[in-house]
Amino acid sequence: MSDKLEAYLEEISHFLSGRAEREEILSEIRSHIMEKAAEGPGEFTDAAIEKAIAAFGPARKVAESYLDESRPIIAPAYKRYLFRYTTLLFAFHTLLTIAAVVFKQDFILFPFLFMPRLGVIEALMYLPTAFLADLGIVAVVLYFITQSGKDVKLPWPKFAVDLDEVKPPTGKLLWSRIFTGIGAVVMLAITDFALYLFAKYQTIIFVNLDWTDPRPLFTPGAGRRISLIIITGFAVSTLTLLIKLFTRSRWVDVVNSVISLGLIGLLLTQPFDNLFAVRIAENMLPKIRFAAKFTLLFIALMTTIELVKNIVVISRRKLAKIS
Amino acid sequence: MNDKVPNDPDIGSLETEMNRGFLHILVLTLLEKDMYGYSMVKHMETLGYKVEENTLYPLLRRLEKNGWIASKWDLTEDRPRKFYGITPEGRTLRAGLLEVWKNQNRVLDEITKEMRHV
Repeated sequence: MSDKLEAYLEEISHFLSGRAEREEILSEIRSHIMEKAAEGPGEFTDAAIEKAIAAFGPARKVAESYLDESRPIIAPAYKRYLFRYTTLLFAFHTLLTIAAVVFKQDFILFPFLFMPRLGVIEALMYLPTAFLADLGIVAVVLYFITQSGKDVKLPWPKFAVDLDEVKPPTGKLLWSRIFTGIGAVVMLAITDFALYLFAKYQTIIFVNLDWTDPRPLFTPGAGRRISLIIITGFAVSTLTLLIKLFTRSRWVDVVNSVISLGLIGLLLTQPFDNLFAVRIAENMLPKIRFAAKFTLLFIALMTTIELVKNIVVISRRKLAKIS
Repeated sequence: MNDKVPNDPDIGSLETEMNRGFLHILVLTLLEKDMYGYSMVKHMETLGYKVEENTLYPLLRRLEKNGWIASKWDLTEDRPRKFYGITPEGRTLRAGLLEVWKNQNRVLDEITKEMRHV
């Protein structure tokens, strides 16, 4: 018996694992290939078997043709709900994450979710994992609905933004490019000016606008660190806008959001004590601290939503191309 | 009228779609006489109809699972062969499918005739 035939059948067998009639299927394929290989002129050769195998098709395709009766993992009618519900669940999850950071509290929504007390960097690291977990939960629920075979009408609020309908702008490409170009020039000017200030004063944040006697807001060390983070943010935005003049890929936005989240994380980890170079009333400090933290977390939330939106749109397009 | 440039007609994939139903009728008709898979492929080829082997065998399995054909292994020859034959339920199904097919042909013929006079 040809080793090639046995290897081919073994491969089909691998893809058919779990099917009760696997042996029967393999016997019939073996019989067919032997019959076909023996048909040609001359001896029954390995080359003839190879030819017969090639005609029968790749092992995976053959196995799949026997499996095509089975129910899909998620029915086509429910596929769009995979990202719809994941987005809602993730938005809720993000809110809980922010609450865990701001209020320094654990949350337990028994038996679904345990939200541990998190630091800012931990929270930023946690969110992508949370997104994957939410996607998994929704996929499992849709899987069970599909396998039940029942016609379940899944709800979707009419007022909700449907990410399925987020499409790239069709017309007005020229105007979009002009605005992006203007944005890029403005951001480039801001970045350059910030770099000029930094080179001259080692900070870009001042309490007055008197350039003959500028008074920095922060102490030298803190001012340098915070200024560098902000300048990096400006530079990334400028670069993003410049790249977007040439490509409309959402991956550019994804990378921009990821870097922005990292920079916000760095800002949030800056020590607050001995931060200000000017005198500030003692009772005002906790309020300023809370306001700064709240503002940065709000920006982080908006950036995260934008990031998730772009990832969802990219994933949906990939899915649409595959199916 | 749509001024979009139409896609090139992909007859290959549409033919596969059309063949799916036709192959059911063909197999149920052929199996009035007991045959094994390879002999069916060869027979169809002599009639000018090429069937993919990895389409035929899964179809035979599905038809058998539904009780429309029955099979038995013949071990008397030098090579084992699995012979298939149509069942009474398969004959009923074939009659129904042929009726559908004939009706589709009639509808198409009539529309073609109507179009000639437009």
